[in-house]
Amino acid sequence: MQTDVLLLLLGVFMPFGIAVVLFFIPRRLKGVPEVLSLITALACFLSALRFVLLNHALTYSFPLLSLGEFIFSFDLATGPFHFFLILFTSGFGFFIAMYSFRYMASKSRRKEYYIFLLLALGGAGGVLVADHLIVFLLFWEIVSISLYFLITTGGEGSREGATKTMAILGAGDGCLLLGLGILWYLTRQLSWTAATVAVNGWLPAVCFILLAIGAVAKAGGMPFHSWLPKASDKAPASVMALLPASIDKLLGIYLLFVLCTKVFVLPFGLQATLMIVGGVTIVAAVMMALVQHTLPRLLSYHAISQVGYMVLGLGTGIPLAMAGALFHMLNNALYKNCLFLCSGAVESKTGTTELKDLGGLAKVMPVTFISFLIAALSISGVPLFNGFVSKWMIYQGIISGRNAVLFIFLIAAMFGSGLTLASFIKVLYSVFLGRTSPVTKKVSKDVGITMQIPMLVTALLCVLFGVWFSLPLNAFIFPALGSAPDMVGSFSPLLAALLMAGGFLFGILIYLAGRIRRKARTVETFTGGETAGGESARVSGTVFYNTVETMRPLGAVYGAQRKGALDPYTWFGRLGLAFSGLLKRIHDGRLPFYLLWSLLGLGVLLALFILR
Amino acid sequence: MIQLLPLFVAIPLGAAFLTALAAFKARRLADVGSALATGALLVLAVITIGRQGVYPVGGFLAPLGITLVLDGFSVLLLLIVNGIGFLATLYSISYMERYTSKYKYFTLFLLMIGGMNGVVITGDVFNLFVFLEIASIASYALVAFGGEHEELEASFKYLVLGSVGSGFILLAIALVYGATGQLNMAGIAMALAGTDKHLLIAFASVLFLAGFSVKAALVPFHPWLPDAHPSAPAPISAMLSGVLIKALGVYALARIIFNVLGATPLFGMIVMGLGVLSMTVGVILAVGQWDFKRLLAYHSISQMGYVVLGIGLGMFILASGGDSVVAGTALLGGILHLANHAAFKSLLFFCAGSVEFRTGTRMLKELGGIQEKMPVTRLTCTVASLSIAGIPPLNGFWSKLIIVIATIQAAFTYPGLLVLTAVTVLVSFVTLVSFLKVLRYVFLGALPDAFRKIKESPFFMGVTIVSLALLCAGMGLLLVPAARGAILDPAIEALKQGLGYGSRVLAGM
Repeated sequence: MQTDVLLLLLGVFMPFGIAVVLFFIPRRLKGVPEVLSLITALACFLSALRFVLLNHALTYSFPLLSLGEFIFSFDLATGPFHFFLILFTSGFGFFIAMYSFRYMASKSRRKEYYIFLLLALGGAGGVLVADHLIVFLLFWEIVSISLYFLITTGGEGSREGATKTMAILGAGDGCLLLGLGILWYLTRQLSWTAATVAVNGWLPAVCFILLAIGAVAKAGGMPFHSWLPKASDKAPASVMALLPASIDKLLGIYLLFVLCTKVFVLPFGLQATLMIVGGVTIVAAVMMALVQHTLPRLLSYHAISQVGYMVLGLGTGIPLAMAGALFHMLNNALYKNCLFLCSGAVESKTGTTELKDLGGLAKVMPVTFISFLIAALSISGVPLFNGFVSKWMIYQGIISGRNAVLFIFLIAAMFGSGLTLASFIKVLYSVFLGRTSPVTKKVSKDVGITMQIPMLVTALLCVLFGVWFSLPLNAFIFPALGSAPDMVGSFSPLLAALLMAGGFLFGILIYLAGRIRRKARTVETFTGGETAGGESARVSGTVFYNTVETMRPLGAVYGAQRKGALDPYTWFGRLGLAFSGLLKRIHDGRLPFYLLWSLLGLGVLLALFILR
Repeated sequence: MIQLLPLFVAIPLGAAFLTALAAFKARRLADVGSALATGALLVLAVITIGRQGVYPVGGFLAPLGITLVLDGFSVLLLLIVNGIGFLATLYSISYMERYTSKYKYFTLFLLMIGGMNGVVITGDVFNLFVFLEIASIASYALVAFGGEHEELEASFKYLVLGSVGSGFILLAIALVYGATGQLNMAGIAMALAGTDKHLLIAFASVLFLAGFSVKAALVPFHPWLPDAHPSAPAPISAMLSGVLIKALGVYALARIIFNVLGATPLFGMIVMGLGVLSMTVGVILAVGQWDFKRLLAYHSISQMGYVVLGIGLGMFILASGGDSVVAGTALLGGILHLANHAAFKSLLFFCAGSVEFRTGTRMLKELGGIQEKMPVTRLTCTVASLSIAGIPPLNGFWSKLIIVIATIQAAFTYPGLLVLTAVTVLVSFVTLVSFLKVLRYVFLGALPDAFRKIKESPFFMGVTIVSLALLCAGMGLLLVPAARGAILDPAIEALKQGLGYGSRVLAGM
């Protein structure tokens, strides 16, 4: 037991320790931060793997500070599920560190990058193992602030994204702190595992909403989503892959899961609110994704949209859907990580992420293409890939709820899934297929092996989880949920694979049959009999869904969105400036007025004393 | 040790006059002399940790003579005043090269330190007023030190409003003297203990409250601060925001109300109200500023609100007979935040000074991208910004957390106080946004062409900001039982003893 605790603490604190060491290492030593980060992430991974294999549950307590009823103590409580999640966070950390060898090689703030990468990893591990509410908050904020600094490593243009991200996450963290405070007030317990609240009355509801805001803001769900696309503009793709796409999702949805299942007994009103948030997020974000013109922005809107599925699943309160939501959280982390890494690979080879400047990269970057294709099929919910399984579980859960109102959400979810596929068709075409552009002509080979491995491994895991899904479900997700719901529908991966393979074969046969009978003719694009060569003949995928933007009721919504009218960040920013301006106008520098205030203040104080 | 107590006043006053005399001839002498004086004061302050006692000046015992009193609360303030004072002296050595007649600056600076030390250790209300005026008048002159239009205007406003505050305080002292026939703080406390509150004393306490609120710049007594603090030279801004408003304002207020006149629940509520008002108004004003130092000045108002909220909450709980442990938590939050604010706010002003020193501007919109050019300043300013915004594991996080916890604990008994929790968290968030803005406009982004050639700040300035950044990072450790027992707990006990102060001091502790 002693060694277990030591290993657990090592897993949490080693990244912090190494981060401090890195801080003191001179900038000249090239390669040291890289290797140290890689080793640290691997060590955390192995430590978590050990616990996963041993199937241990572990608690640890170390009192630090006592102030009356408030005892601040380093309490950890973990089970196999937590270690399973740490396996993911540290695994992502490992692959991102490997990916960054080449990807970050030319960037100037490399040392800072690795320091905060490690802090984020340590923070994520801490959040997952913490049992004390304040310890949880502490680690949670460390992850937020690490993301801020990681985004600023993206260079000159990154400051807007970083500021916006930290402002919104800071608001979420503030809500979380307040919510935790109220939770303490309600339960008089400072532990996640001890607290259960029946929501009866307004204060518990406020408490849940505040905590849920913290969780949703972290995960990037609507309406606290707008930091994600802004950050993606200039942040390194590896940062987007690590935090917003993977770890932040894991943490946010993990918190929401704990809230919905362990801490609160939710009334229907709050469940419905969650479902509405989820449903709206799915559809609205994917509609935004359809019309994006740069790869990271498009991916980040998809990252928002996928959160909708998880929030929706958790909101239903139906065990199967909740299990689906948890599984979707893991699946999403995998394929979204892969997608952002591929986007980074494309960016590092071509120097651009504008869809209109890309095209035809499939031939020169086959590994990137295959990984991206697998991840794109996964996110679109195509059978045999992991995204399908979790979405399918959520659908089944909703159907088994046998409630007509729930079907609205089912339709929203399925519609969103369809649009996701549509959107990724656009990306696949504009980036990897189609004709080469002047930019992509210069690319001659794929990215290096250290960048390929992370993409391939995550893509491979997407397939593994899609085919052998019962393994993680039975081993971790159902135990975490505390019940093992039966699948309502039937889906056999083997049969599906055979049928799909049959379909492909049939298609190939038709194609070959056509080739044999008559030789197909291939010609250059021509207009009016003249060959139209060069750039003008190239059709970029960006125009695919342009009409959506001008379609009648939608056009106004898109217009409002562009002006920031649908973004709480803009609302509160304007509100704050208005208040500030009002107060500033009173502070006009006129001494007599200032004197008057002091006298009035004295008068009010006197009045209070006399009238008490 | 207690025999050394007068040195806290004698050293700075003596050094001030010697500096003025000697520095006509040797310019470096002012630097060295002041640094030695403040360094010696810092050493003395460290020696006082864990000690207490009463020193009768000239051998005349209280209540007739003037006494100097050292207890936990004074020790904490001595540490803050002389610690920041020493660092500000170091910083001034390089920074004040831009101004002429540096020795005059050091003279005024040492006078201000002497005044503040006097306020903190005196055991006599009239003596307190005298020291308060020494420090205040020195600070009026220091605000005007640049001699430009803006500085003179700010200094004049500060002078007028500060004098109004001093007037309130003097009137209050007269009333208390009239009611009790005593000027010794312990004597007054003895005279008032166990009696019903005289109406005259109630009036005097309101006057004290208003007067010290002017000194502490609590809304609505604050409008001198956003003019005075940015106009002063950077080390003085750091001293004013980091130390002066605490020693003359919050310390004196807490001392008089808790230990001399006696706290009442109503008084606690009013103090909390002033705290909440200052927190919110200050931060809302701060977030809209584009002048680096003015933004920081408004944040001082807001952060003093936190301190006063914690102290007021403790006062309220104690006076209404609530849980003494909860009151202790509230006071701990307030006092720890007072210490933390001294560290991070003076650091922020030093950083603003370094930026202005190299770039010549403090308008956020004209700055940008200097992170590569001034990496140390960027690092320290980031630490301070995250500290004030309450990001773990920096010091500001812990004190704000304790204040939040105290409000929730108090809400166990008085549920309405949950509102305070919400306000505290909200203000903390706006503070974060405001400092994200600072970091964004000053350090991140593209470097303007005008700043291509700037360098990192000079050696002494670098030393100062790095040591303060280390303090910001490490001051959370004050909560570790050993450090808490040595520094924070005695300060809280000193306040919690209430009017018992009188008998203890008269008995010589």
